[in-house]
Amino acid sequence: MLTDGDTLIMLARLAAAVCLVLTPLSALSQESFPNRPISVVVPFPPGGMADLSARPLSVSMEQVLKQPVVVVNKAGASGAVGIQNVANSKPDGYTIMVSLVSFSTIPEVDEMFGRKPAYSRDQFTPIALLAADPPVLAVGAGTPWKSVKELVEDAKKRPGEIVYSHSGLYGPSHLPMEMFLHAAGVRMRQVPAVGGGPAMTLVLGGNAAMWSSPPAMALQHVQSQKIRVLASWGAKRHAAFPDAPTLKELGYDVEFYVWSGVFAPKGVAEPTVTILRDAVRKAVAFPEFKTSMAKVQTPVMYLDGPEFKQFLEKDARMLSTAIKRIGRIEDKK
Amino acid sequence: MSLPRLRNDQLSGLMLLALALFVGWQNRAYPLGSVQEPGAGYTPLLIAVFLGVIGLLIALKGASSEPLSEMQWPEAKRAAMILVACAVATYALEHLGYRITVMSLLVFFLGVMEHKKPLAVASVAIGFSLLSFYFIGTLLRVPLPRGPLGW
Amino acid sequence: MADTFQNLLLGFQVALQWNVLGYAFAGCVIGTLVGMMPGLGPLAGISLLLPATFGLNPIIAMVLLGGVYYGAMYGGSTTSILMRIPGEAASVMTCVDGYAMTQNGRAGAALAIAAIGSFVAGTFGVIGLMLLAPTLAALALRFGPPEYTALLMMGFFILAYMSGGSMPKTLAMAAFGLLLGMIGIDAMTGYTRFSFGVIELGDGVGIVPVAVGLFGISEILMTAAAGEGPKVRIPKFRELMPSAREFKDSVGPIARGSLLGFLIGIIPGSAHVISSFVSYGLERRLSKHPERFGKGAIEGVAGPESANNSAATGAFVPMMALGIPTGPVTAVMIAAVMVHGISPGPTMIQNQPELFWGFVASMYVGNVVLLILNLPLVGLFVNLLRIPYAYLYPGILCFCILGCYSVSNSVVDVWIMLIMGGVGYALRKFGYDLAPVALGLVLAPMLELSLRQSLAMSAGDYTIFLQRPIALTMLCLGVLLLLLGLKPLLSKKKDWRSKVGLDEVPD
Repeated sequence: MLTDGDTLIMLARLAAAVCLVLTPLSALSQESFPNRPISVVVPFPPGGMADLSARPLSVSMEQVLKQPVVVVNKAGASGAVGIQNVANSKPDGYTIMVSLVSFSTIPEVDEMFGRKPAYSRDQFTPIALLAADPPVLAVGAGTPWKSVKELVEDAKKRPGEIVYSHSGLYGPSHLPMEMFLHAAGVRMRQVPAVGGGPAMTLVLGGNAAMWSSPPAMALQHVQSQKIRVLASWGAKRHAAFPDAPTLKELGYDVEFYVWSGVFAPKGVAEPTVTILRDAVRKAVAFPEFKTSMAKVQTPVMYLDGPEFKQFLEKDARMLSTAIKRIGRIEDKK
Repeated sequence: MSLPRLRNDQLSGLMLLALALFVGWQNRAYPLGSVQEPGAGYTPLLIAVFLGVIGLLIALKGASSEPLSEMQWPEAKRAAMILVACAVATYALEHLGYRITVMSLLVFFLGVMEHKKPLAVASVAIGFSLLSFYFIGTLLRVPLPRGPLGW
Repeated sequence: MADTFQNLLLGFQVALQWNVLGYAFAGCVIGTLVGMMPGLGPLAGISLLLPATFGLNPIIAMVLLGGVYYGAMYGGSTTSILMRIPGEAASVMTCVDGYAMTQNGRAGAALAIAAIGSFVAGTFGVIGLMLLAPTLAALALRFGPPEYTALLMMGFFILAYMSGGSMPKTLAMAAFGLLLGMIGIDAMTGYTRFSFGVIELGDGVGIVPVAVGLFGISEILMTAAAGEGPKVRIPKFRELMPSAREFKDSVGPIARGSLLGFLIGIIPGSAHVISSFVSYGLERRLSKHPERFGKGAIEGVAGPESANNSAATGAFVPMMALGIPTGPVTAVMIAAVMVHGISPGPTMIQNQPELFWGFVASMYVGNVVLLILNLPLVGLFVNLLRIPYAYLYPGILCFCILGCYSVSNSVVDVWIMLIMGGVGYALRKFGYDLAPVALGLVLAPMLELSLRQSLAMSAGDYTIFLQRPIALTMLCLGVLLLLLGLKPLLSKKKDWRSKVGLDEVPD
């Protein structure tokens, strides 16, 4: 006859047996990550910089991970929709995201306007940095300035008269410009456009004097002599514009990068994160990846998870200061 | 004026006025700016005022329009059913996945509302949902929502 | 001229190779099918196919995407005419008279004229692109925010012509559309307006879910709920082609629509969407019997369809000649080419002539292919009307949901569509015309943005509009149009009173 004690011991043995069986199984299931397709969410419409970085990456990652890696575009609100979507997704490693520098700026701007932030940066685990391109200062062919020095002198003489355009408030062409203007101590008027194309059109048509342009977009117009590039926002001179000094060289302590990076939602298990980091590291080394990126004129700059995290934090601090300094546009009246 | 004698133009005009007032009220959170530099709230306010005036005009002119009680709404109940069914399906779309949702929706329309034979209902429902998923989801690679079991 | 001809020959040599032709054909077919899906239009079509083109060579990629683009434009008119469901934003106006023609039993004629008009306009646009690309592009660059504002104001004044119904109701609907256009992030100040916390509304309510819902869903709610099918006459085989009268009536609208659309299309920006609205308003104004519009006037199909096709072609002019993305569609096309390391622009025309001319030639080819494809299919499409309505409308509803969802992978779009469907149903019951809502929705954000941009450029000085000649000319034209449009209203004042049964006011 079984006593309670016996039953208990039997149950304990059963439990132990189950655990023993399951543990290797669970380790197995983690080691077998990935065992189904991974989706890479790009929070922008097809054809943009994030998209053009994510697609070659997913092709190469597919070869590393031996599972389909599919790019899913979930555009909206300058990226906020897609990013929020990934923040709330299941942290099992099957949903990752390629995002741009706006990742760090959107929550700040939300806060400044008193809106509930769409997401917060700590809802994400940084996996890797893919590319970091500094923008260049593109001035229209009809403008008289041949160097940043001339520009700054002119701006000092007529504050608030020169007009610059950008692709969106607090975006990757507005912030670098404002940072430069603050460092140079001059004031200019801004005309917002919606997107890079329209911003460039404003400068090409003489409706705005200059803007902070992605190098790829500027290159073709420099070749057709419709714009001139006076400087770049990087730490080193841009390979495509060797004659353009960096703003740092000119004495302004300003650096800005339009970067793209890979993120996973927070809560993904450590081993999975490691697998993802490894996969990205290997993918980035593939020659096909490098060629694809070169074709769209985006130089690869790879940083692994922990270094990327540091880069992110430093970058975010700088962006936050700039955003707060710009403040809300109508508050300046 | 008591409700039964309300004319339909008066009602719709008043509703437009109400919408305009609502917008104007919501708009208070946005700075107006000035004529030289219109702020976020400037244009919506202009439009809301315009809409309000027009709505009032319609309501006032509406004394000569058709009386509300004479408006024909014979199909309203069925229309509401269709709309509600679609709403439920839209909600279910990302919870149950595309195929199941569409199948259920078609079963509802064809079976419940149109009283078609079960065989016809089943074949259309299953055929449509699977075929459309194949063409749009697999061939064109549009990521259609999948249910909890991945289906 | 000889130069151009030679280049064109080069282009045809490229475009008529078997594999390129095959891809163009495939693109046209896929585009037509995609365009027929409610909500999926050219943008959705090429976005869907963009990834597939990365592995192909650049000419084929452009030809394929171009074919999809065109095909979607042709396909979008099919559902508009047959079922009053706009295939995409540019087909909204086609719904009005196109569907009325279907109800009169002239569905075949409407489809045929839409195809023919699109062909003529598309060919016209391609010729324009070919001959004038660099010149036009330089002109287009001079279009800054003030000119854009003036153009959009003109489009706005067209409202006065759009509807035969009561003017206050038309204006009310326009205002409603304008308000809908205010939803979203304000580009000038960064505020998110009227989004009620829904983040997907940050970019505003899209024209696609609104158009499909307002026109399509409301139509289904009205007819399906009534229990019987739509009162549509199915044409006999002999009645499929347009009559001589209809052909004659369409010549003017097609010609005007092609020119108008092309001019609007070459302007960088998304203004080409308003081309079909402007064409409709223009045709109605020029017609000797404007009261026919809305009841099945073929001019109301021929004009808008031609305008939106040539506008679509015109939109390629700044893209090709300047290399700038002037809207979401051209941005995708540019990306498609950039992945192969080519940057569109003036250098491309010089350095890679076979790409530019091959593309131009393939657009000719595409237009021909689509005409050949669509004309015989008219008979097939018209037979769709024979499907018992009880089976048809659930299918259409599911397609609408599927189409709307696929555009941005967003359920919010489907909700917008359904809500607008209910709203459209109520509005129609109360006797309001829906087309002005679409125009208002499309115009409002663009008009407000370019106006405030102009003011930002001039530091608040309104005289900037007077100082810039192009803007000034267009503004004057616009005011003229407005006054002309209001004239009938003022002179018919007496009629209006008697029509409504009021006693004439004693003097």
